[in-house]
Amino acid sequence: MKRSKDNTETNSTPYTKSTLITQVIMTIVAVVFILPIFVVFNYSFKTKKELYLTNALTLPSSIQFENYKKAFEKLNLTTTFTNTFLYTAIAVIILAILCSATAWAIARSKGKFFKFCYIYFIIGILIPFQALFLPIYIIGANLNLTNTRFGIIFMYIATAISFGVFLMTSFMSTVPIELEEAARIDGCNVFRTYFTVVLPLLKPAMATLIIMQAFQIWNDYMLASLYVSKKELKTLTVVIQSLFSAQASDYTTAMAAIVISVLPIAVLFLSLQKYFIKGMTVGAVKG
Amino acid sequence: MGYKNTNGLQKRLEKQYLLLVIPGFVIFTIGIIIPTILAFRFSLTSWNGLTPDKPFVGLKNYVTLFNDSNFLQSWWFTIKFTIGNTIIQNVLALLFAVALDSGIKAQKIYRTVLFIPCLISSVIVGFIWLKMYSNVLPEINEWLGTNINFLLFGSGETVLSGLLIANNWQWIGYWMLIYLAGLQSIPAELYEAAKVDGAGAVSRFFNITIPMLAPSITICVVGITTGSLKVYDLLVSSTGGGPGRSSTSVILQIYNTAIGARQFGYGSAMSVTLVFALLLVALVQVKTLKSREVQQ
Repeated sequence: MKRSKDNTETNSTPYTKSTLITQVIMTIVAVVFILPIFVVFNYSFKTKKELYLTNALTLPSSIQFENYKKAFEKLNLTTTFTNTFLYTAIAVIILAILCSATAWAIARSKGKFFKFCYIYFIIGILIPFQALFLPIYIIGANLNLTNTRFGIIFMYIATAISFGVFLMTSFMSTVPIELEEAARIDGCNVFRTYFTVVLPLLKPAMATLIIMQAFQIWNDYMLASLYVSKKELKTLTVVIQSLFSAQASDYTTAMAAIVISVLPIAVLFLSLQKYFIKGMTVGAVKG
Repeated sequence: MGYKNTNGLQKRLEKQYLLLVIPGFVIFTIGIIIPTILAFRFSLTSWNGLTPDKPFVGLKNYVTLFNDSNFLQSWWFTIKFTIGNTIIQNVLALLFAVALDSGIKAQKIYRTVLFIPCLISSVIVGFIWLKMYSNVLPEINEWLGTNINFLLFGSGETVLSGLLIANNWQWIGYWMLIYLAGLQSIPAELYEAAKVDGAGAVSRFFNITIPMLAPSITICVVGITTGSLKVYDLLVSSTGGGPGRSSTSVILQIYNTAIGARQFGYGSAMSVTLVFALLLVALVQVKTLKSREVQQ
């Protein structure tokens, strides 16, 4: 019943008047949308002199990577990039396993406590952690979570768990209970059943959760700025933000820094688009 | 042993399931639930965030809130920003989705172009638009010899429009994708039947597309509203809440009060109002939008 996702079959059909007009309008829209991104790229290759002497849309006279080199040093890139990557990667992998295990256990068990757990986790979707940054900071300081890698990863997991459990629950129908029963008769306990039967079946769901949260955590500013003040633990967004205020006039370096920080997540998105869209629409489909 | 006694097996299984749930339960409780409770507790004190004792003042903070013009102003800005976003983003995202779904060529390219801005951190989006308004767009005046004011972050009257443009640029593509997925799940037969009945394009849009998209509309309206009420990152590198206080959002105001002015108790009371407002808005919206879904 679904119409094709991409309209390859309409590509050969000739334009009607209305699709032609739509095509023109959307092209203008797309150009407007791409303009700021073009400007960022363009500036990132300009010299300081060109910044003042040429206008925003003139291309740089030559492609030079001076700004990228400078950004590399100013951002302390090897460290900040590794930090951001590690926080993001570890948090999303733990989230994927934790949320799928939690959602599965809640779906399979019959106890009242588990029903309560589901509601308990779902309430979290409605509690905005951004509004609670004060107590989140206080509790972090009291439990010695601030200024540690463990602490920031812990908070990334805590703030995403609600959505993760919700998302995983909506995928639970893709796990046929018969397979689990077969595994149990073979003598598997719950943990082995989870890892050998359930986890492989939930891979698409986990991919969805991973890409959605990776992009949130990679771009996070609030928690990172709150929890981490040590230079060697800082993340890209936080360092770039301080670069913005420090380099207000010579922003070619800042522009190169922007490209560096956006590129990995853009590549991740473009290669895993289908999972991302699935995750975004899961609520809409569920209704 | 377990196979003979199913009751015992179920009990043993429940214990193992419990072990799977507990880690997440503990992390969530420490990271979200306890801070929520702490916010309530702090909001009843005049704590400055430094001293070990937290003097209890009852509801005094909440009374003060309603006479605090800075706080009320931050709410007023946040509400205007939220309403603006909810209307503009929903309408444009839906229109763009319909346009992309109408059989134009290279749909995927448009989709990707419009989506890319939302992959950029809001802190960076704020900076990009700061430079767009101050350095890039004014050049249009030079080319055309016009005198349009592009320095939208420069005055209290225009800062809201400037931020709305930046925020919409960032998020329209995201919501458009949800509408697009919704559109693509509407059976083509419905449109064909309506065409046979002689319904025009506008009538088909309002009588088929909109009702069939109701679940997507719910997701988008709630998502945009709650997202906008929490605005903070976007302001950090663009306006910093200025000029003056004209673009100070509620979260930024909490930040200034608690971290800047060392009024943790008072700031916590502000947090509590925001948590309640967000809960209320989300619940009311889900309820009204859902009831519309059922009717149709």
